[in-house]
Amino acid sequence: MHIIIIGGGDIGYPLASALCTDHDVFLVDRDPLRAHRFSHLDVEFVAGSGTSPDVLRNAGVERCDLLIAATRLDELNIVACSIGSGLGAKRTICFVTKEDLLEQRSGDDSLHRNFGIDEIIWPEARLAAEIERIIMAPGAVDAELFAGGRVELLEFRLEADSPVVGREVASLALPAGVVIIALKHEHATLIPRGQTVLETGDKVVLMGTRDGMNRLRPVIAPASSNADSQMVTIIGGGDVGFRLAQKLDEADGIRLIVIERERERGELLAATLRRALILRGDGTDLELLESEEIGRSDVLVSVIDNDERNLLASLLGHQLGVRKVITRVSKPSNHHLFERVGIDVALSARGAAVASVVHGIDGGRSSLLAVLEEGQARVLELAVPGGFSPTAVRDLNLPPDSIIGSVLRQGSVVVPHGDDRVQGGDRLLVCCTEPAVPGVRDLFAAS
Amino acid sequence: MRFIIVAAIAGRILRVFGAAFLAPAAVAAGYGEWADVPGFLIGGVLSAAIGEAMIRGSRGAGQDLRRIEALAVVASVWLMLALLCAVPHLWVGLDPIDALFEAMSGITATGATILTDFETPGRGFFFWRAMTQWLGGMGVIALVLAVLPRLAIGVRQLFFAEVPGPTEENLAPQIRKTAGTLWKFYTGLTAVEVVALMAAGMPLFDAVCHAFTNVAAGGFSPNPESIAGYNSVAVEWIVIVFMFLSGANFALQYRAVLGYPDALVRDDEFRAYVGIVAGAAAILAVLLWQLESAGAPIRTALFQVLSILTTTGYASTNFELWTDQTKVVLLAMMFIGGCAGSAAGGPKVLRHMLIGRFTLTELRRTLHLRGVMPVKLGGKAVPEEVIRGVLVFFLFYVLMFAITTAVVIGFGEDLETAVTATTGALGNIGPGFGEVGPMANYGGLHPVSKLMLIAAMWIGRLEVVTVLALLRPEVWLRAHWQGITPRR
Repeated sequence: MHIIIIGGGDIGYPLASALCTDHDVFLVDRDPLRAHRFSHLDVEFVAGSGTSPDVLRNAGVERCDLLIAATRLDELNIVACSIGSGLGAKRTICFVTKEDLLEQRSGDDSLHRNFGIDEIIWPEARLAAEIERIIMAPGAVDAELFAGGRVELLEFRLEADSPVVGREVASLALPAGVVIIALKHEHATLIPRGQTVLETGDKVVLMGTRDGMNRLRPVIAPASSNADSQMVTIIGGGDVGFRLAQKLDEADGIRLIVIERERERGELLAATLRRALILRGDGTDLELLESEEIGRSDVLVSVIDNDERNLLASLLGHQLGVRKVITRVSKPSNHHLFERVGIDVALSARGAAVASVVHGIDGGRSSLLAVLEEGQARVLELAVPGGFSPTAVRDLNLPPDSIIGSVLRQGSVVVPHGDDRVQGGDRLLVCCTEPAVPGVRDLFAAS
Repeated sequence: MRFIIVAAIAGRILRVFGAAFLAPAAVAAGYGEWADVPGFLIGGVLSAAIGEAMIRGSRGAGQDLRRIEALAVVASVWLMLALLCAVPHLWVGLDPIDALFEAMSGITATGATILTDFETPGRGFFFWRAMTQWLGGMGVIALVLAVLPRLAIGVRQLFFAEVPGPTEENLAPQIRKTAGTLWKFYTGLTAVEVVALMAAGMPLFDAVCHAFTNVAAGGFSPNPESIAGYNSVAVEWIVIVFMFLSGANFALQYRAVLGYPDALVRDDEFRAYVGIVAGAAAILAVLLWQLESAGAPIRTALFQVLSILTTTGYASTNFELWTDQTKVVLLAMMFIGGCAGSAAGGPKVLRHMLIGRFTLTELRRTLHLRGVMPVKLGGKAVPEEVIRGVLVFFLFYVLMFAITTAVVIGFGEDLETAVTATTGALGNIGPGFGEVGPMANYGGLHPVSKLMLIAAMWIGRLEVVTVLALLRPEVWLRAHWQGITPRR
C-alpha cells in the first residue's frame, strides 16, 4: 500500500514506524531537519509543505492509497487532505484538535463533501470520552467506546465484597444489553463460559449499550459503595482536561475542581464551566493540593501534556489519599512504569489513535478496535458480507475463545444471544484471545 | 477635550430638537390657547438658533470623537435641553428655578413637580410637559441619531453614554438602525396605550399625555390627583401593564414581539425583575389587607410597587397616609429601579444582580485563594471592567445621595422628606414621602434644595459617572477650543 503521512510529529512518527515495515510510506514535513529522526526507519522523507501540490506529487500522490494529515494545525490538515484527494489519493484521514470540526461529519457542510476527507480523528476527544466513562462508572478501571460511543466496554476489578464473587457467569442477572466478554484470572485472560466462576481479584470486561451499563452498578459493585456524589479533580485544563471538564460539569452528583497553570486558560475554563471550581496553580504544588484538600477527591485525573509532571502530580495525589488516579501518558515506553508505581489507570491519547489507524489499514474486512490485558485479548470489528444468509449465532462456528459482544445493524445495537441471527451487512464486535485472532478474521472469508 | 467638536455635535442635536417645540405649539393653537403659543415658538427658535450658531462656530471640526468628548456632548446636551424646555414654562409664568425644575424633571422623565395650580395653565403646557418626558424617556440623542443620517462621528459612544444600564446591547450592527428600531417600538407602544386608555373611557388629551409619561416611566399627569383622579379600575390595570413594560428592556421586548419570546423569558434580569415585582407586591398586598382602609389591596400594591420600582411615580392612592411598614416596601423599590435598556431610572436590577453575584464570588474566593472565579450572568463571564464600573456607579450614587440629602436637610426639610426627595430625584422617580408625597409637590422646598435636586436629576439620568467624570481636573487643564494643530 502506498501511504503518505503529512507531519512528522507526535502522531506522524509512531504512525510511520508502525507502518513502514509492510507499506511504502512517504513522510512529508516542512522541516528538513526532521529527516534525521526518520533516517533509521524505512521511510521516504519529502521536505516541503503538505499543502503544496508539487510536494505531494513528489510523494506520489497519484498512486496513493491513503493520505494521513497529522500536523499540529487543523486547517493545514484539512487543506492537505483536500488537495491530496483532488490529486488522486484514494482515501484520506485528517487529525483535528477542535470540537467544531468533529461535528461536521455529515450533511451539507460536511468535511467529506467539501474537502474529500474520509475520516476525522480527534485523539484528545476520544481520550476525554474514555476517562469520562471510567469516572461515571464507579469501580471501572478501564473503558473503551466503539461505534461512536453507542457500544461501551468497561473493565472492573472484583473486590471481596462484590455480590458476584463466587457465582457462575450463567447465574448472574446482568441487565439486558450487557455481556461479559473477557475475564482475567490471576495472569491468564480467557473468554468466560456459562460455568466459569468469578473470584475476588478477577478483572471482568463487559460490553454493552450505555443504557445497560448504567444499570450494571448494583449488580456488580457492593451495595455499600457510595457513588452518588463524587469529587473529581482534573489537573491540566488543556484539550483533554477542558473537554473532560465540560462533560463532567453537566453531570449530576459530581463536584469538579480543575487546576490550571495558565491565567488566561483558567479564565476561559471559568467562563465556560458552570459549576466547577477553577484553581490557578501548578498541579505538582503540594501546598496548593493540601490547602484545597485534593486528597479527599474520589478521582484525580492528571492530563498535563508532560509525562514527568503528570507522574509527579499523580503520585502526590495518590500519597494524599485519592482513591483512584487516572493519568495521561504520552510516551508508550512510560506506560508500564506508570501502572507499576501505583497509578490506577494510565491512558494515552495518541497511542490509541495511532493503533486504530494502523489496524484499520491492516485488517481489510476486519479491524482491530482494542487490545485488552497487554495483548492477551483483542476486540475486532468484522463486516458480514452482503450476501450472507441469516444464521443463528450458535450455528456460526465461532472459534473457541471468542464471543460476539454486539451486532451493529443500521444504526442500532444488539447484544446477541445464541438464538439471535446475524445477517449480511451487519458489523460484529468480537472479543477473542490472541491465538484465536486468525480464526475469527477468516470467519466469513469462505463466503 | 476639544470644545470645537463638542459644539459641532451638540449644535446638530439642538438644531433638530427645535422642531419638537412645534408639537405643543400646534396643540395650544388647536385648543385656542393663543397666548401660550409664543412661548413654544420662542423655545423652538432659540433651540434651532443656538444649534446653528454652534455649528457655524465649529466649522472645520475633526472627524474623531474622543471618549471624554462624547461624555461632554451627552452631559451638555441634556443640560441645555432642560434649559430650553424651561422656556415655555417661563412663558406661562413659572418662577425661573421652578421652570428649570419642571423642565429637568420632564426631560429626565423623573415626574417630580413644583406645580400647585393645575387650573390656570393651558393644555399646550400640559402636553409639552408630558412630551418632554416622552422624548427624554427613550433618549433624545438616540432619537437624533435615528433621524439625522449625516451625523457620523462617534455615534456608538454617544448612544451608549445615554442608554441606561451597564450593558451594550444592539438590535442591528449599525447603531443608527438600533436607535431607529427602539424609537419605532417605543412609539408603537405609546400608540397602543393611547387606544387602550381611550377604550377605558379616558378623554383623548388625557390619554395621550398619560401614554407619553407612562411608557417613558416619567409620571407627570395633567390631573392633580394623578391616576387616582380618574377613579377607574380599567385605567389602573392598563397603567399597571404599561408601567411593567416601561421598566423592562425594550430591545428584548422588541425581539419578543418579533417572535422570539425566549429572548425575554430566558433573560436573567427580566426574571429577577418579575420576581421583585411579584414579591414586593405580595408583601405590600398583605400589609394593605391588614390596613383594611385600602380597597383592592392586590391592584393597589401592584400599582404602587411598579410605579416606584420603574421610577414612573404615578399614584393610584395617597400612599403618604399608609403605615411606615408599607412605606418601607416602597422605599426599598426606590433603591432598585427598572431593567437596563428600559425607560426606568434608578440603579437598575442588573447592577444589583452584578453586585450581589460579585459579593458572593468574593466570599467564595476567601475560601479558595487561588480560585479563578469570574462573575457570571446568563452563563457568561462578565468582564472585570463592567464589574468595576458597577462598583464605581454605586459608590458615586451613594455619595451623591449623601451630599444632596445633607443639603436638602440643611435648608430646612425633615429627614423623611430629604431622603425620599433625593432618592426620587437621583433615581428619576418623582414623588417621595412627607412634604414631597404623591399628592403634595416640590414647590415648597428652598430654592437651593431645588437647584441641588435639579443637579441630582441630571446626574441620575446620565448614570452618575458620565457627569462626574467631567469634574476631573485633567479634562479642563487640557481643554482647548480647536485642538492642537499638527505641524506641517
